[in-house]
Amino acid sequence: METPTADDLLQFRDYSATNNSGAPAQINVNSPTHATSGGNFNAQQQQQQQRQRGDPLADLIYDMSSSTAATAGGGGGAGAQGASLDGAANVGGAGAGGARLSFLTIEYYQQFFNVDTYMVLERIVNSMIPKRAASNYLRMNIGENPDLYGPFWITITLIFSIAISGNIASYLQLADDSYQWHYNFHLVSYAATCIFLYANILPAILWALFKYSLKPVDQADAIETDSATYTPTLLSLMCIYGYSLAIYIPVSILWVINISLLQWLLVITAAMLSGTVLIAVLTPALRNSQYSLFLIVGILSAHVILAAGFLLYFFHSPPDALAAGPKPTLPQVLPPAHMVQQAVSQQPVVGDLPQANQTG
Amino acid sequence: MDAKLDMFEDVNTSPSLEGDMSIPGRRTTTTTSQNGVPDYNTLDEPIRETVLRDIRAVGIKFYHVLYPKEKSSLLRDWDLWGPLVLCTLMATILQGSSSADSMADNGPEFAQVFVIVWIGAAIVTLNSKLLGGNISFFQSVCVLGYCLTPVALALIICRVILMAKHTRFLFFLRFVTTTLGFTWATYASFIFLGQSQPPHRKPLAVYPIFLFFFIISWLVLSHN
Repeated sequence: METPTADDLLQFRDYSATNNSGAPAQINVNSPTHATSGGNFNAQQQQQQQRQRGDPLADLIYDMSSSTAATAGGGGGAGAQGASLDGAANVGGAGAGGARLSFLTIEYYQQFFNVDTYMVLERIVNSMIPKRAASNYLRMNIGENPDLYGPFWITITLIFSIAISGNIASYLQLADDSYQWHYNFHLVSYAATCIFLYANILPAILWALFKYSLKPVDQADAIETDSATYTPTLLSLMCIYGYSLAIYIPVSILWVINISLLQWLLVITAAMLSGTVLIAVLTPALRNSQYSLFLIVGILSAHVILAAGFLLYFFHSPPDALAAGPKPTLPQVLPPAHMVQQAVSQQPVVGDLPQANQTG
Repeated sequence: MDAKLDMFEDVNTSPSLEGDMSIPGRRTTTTTSQNGVPDYNTLDEPIRETVLRDIRAVGIKFYHVLYPKEKSSLLRDWDLWGPLVLCTLMATILQGSSSADSMADNGPEFAQVFVIVWIGAAIVTLNSKLLGGNISFFQSVCVLGYCLTPVALALIICRVILMAKHTRFLFFLRFVTTTLGFTWATYASFIFLGQSQPPHRKPLAVYPIFLFFFIISWLVLSHN
């Protein structure tokens, strides 16, 4: 190439880009106002380069715009999804248009976790004290913003609190200094199965019953039709049931105290309190159903059976086992568990099954 | 045309700027040797060098967990070696015996401890992401795994204490050790993961971490 003359230097020319990768080279200067942020990327920022943060106002605008973009995608989806989420997989909502989120993204599920700390605490307290919630709680509060955080973590906490308290209770019942405490890990599995079935299957059954037992509505009575055809969504029911289990967490810790009268008193009180809350919250939907009386009885009895089942299975020692006197083998604390173990020990199975001589 | 070009010597009155230039399309590092990955060709180096480099990185992370002051290195260069080693160690010590001994400990099996640690860390991380946290999945699993270090230390101490005869005082000692390990682990992980959540949801994200370490500490305490 010839040496550029003065004319060349003083004219504007287009030189072809030497960097063919498309993105310009980036120069980072080590000065305090241009410190780069840490290496955190989430899925939304994959396309963007690391942004220089220096100007406070620009950073504020950037943060607010990115957070509203995240919630706008979730909020738009929540409004459409909350009213129409049926039991069957809502595939129609997935990827249908630009505003709907695909159920394969994580943002789709973020709309079910759109709660703050005080909201979760408020919902827990509302589930323990009857009549504390407003009369349209189901439709306006839970129905608009059902969350899965509360039900999920309350059930997990309940499972482990029952398993741990059950083990402590069985230890205290048989404690003397020479007794080696045996930890029965399988209480966790049994507790988990029961609680997950209750918190998931029962709302599904209830949802189906509500939906298909609506009272026929008189079309001439135009004022009542909107609330008369209201049935709660599946997600709202799961949310309600999940939060209603919250009262059993302190109760299960108190069950460690081995006074039978106290245990039964706790069961009855807790079941009555949360049963009343359940009925009170579900009243707008129960009113519209043909089988409202049966449904009320069914809900209450399921609740009581769950609580009593916990107490009997995990905490209660049958009186004849202790009255029979010390046996050479280890005392049988939990007869159902013992029968399960005997049945199981007939067939050696690889895995985490208890031995025949183990008790809880 | 006769043009004159005046060239002036650069008078160095301003402080010199330092930095580096990163050109996309080539492997870049924003600062030099921060993550220990060298720019030269590592194919020819002895294996000992390669292994030692990774071991050094893992050791640095253990150190940062035990003295949680500097946050960024654990998050930036995550790896899962430490959690794997800790999980295997704890599962080996915690597993119940499968022999027909009547006094055998009916504790969790090896696989159960593994599942609890890894699936538990995954669920806690998923919860944190669903609540809107801006931390990546593996960074969070890495932090939770490394923060098991105090709990693993407590388990080893408890195992040593268990070699003596079982008395109430020794049980109390084990209880204190386990509680200490649990608080240390929760505090360390709170330091690392607490910043990634929006402030009005921070308790919601911290509670599962607390539960996770509580359950593992319970397994440690109830092992005998």
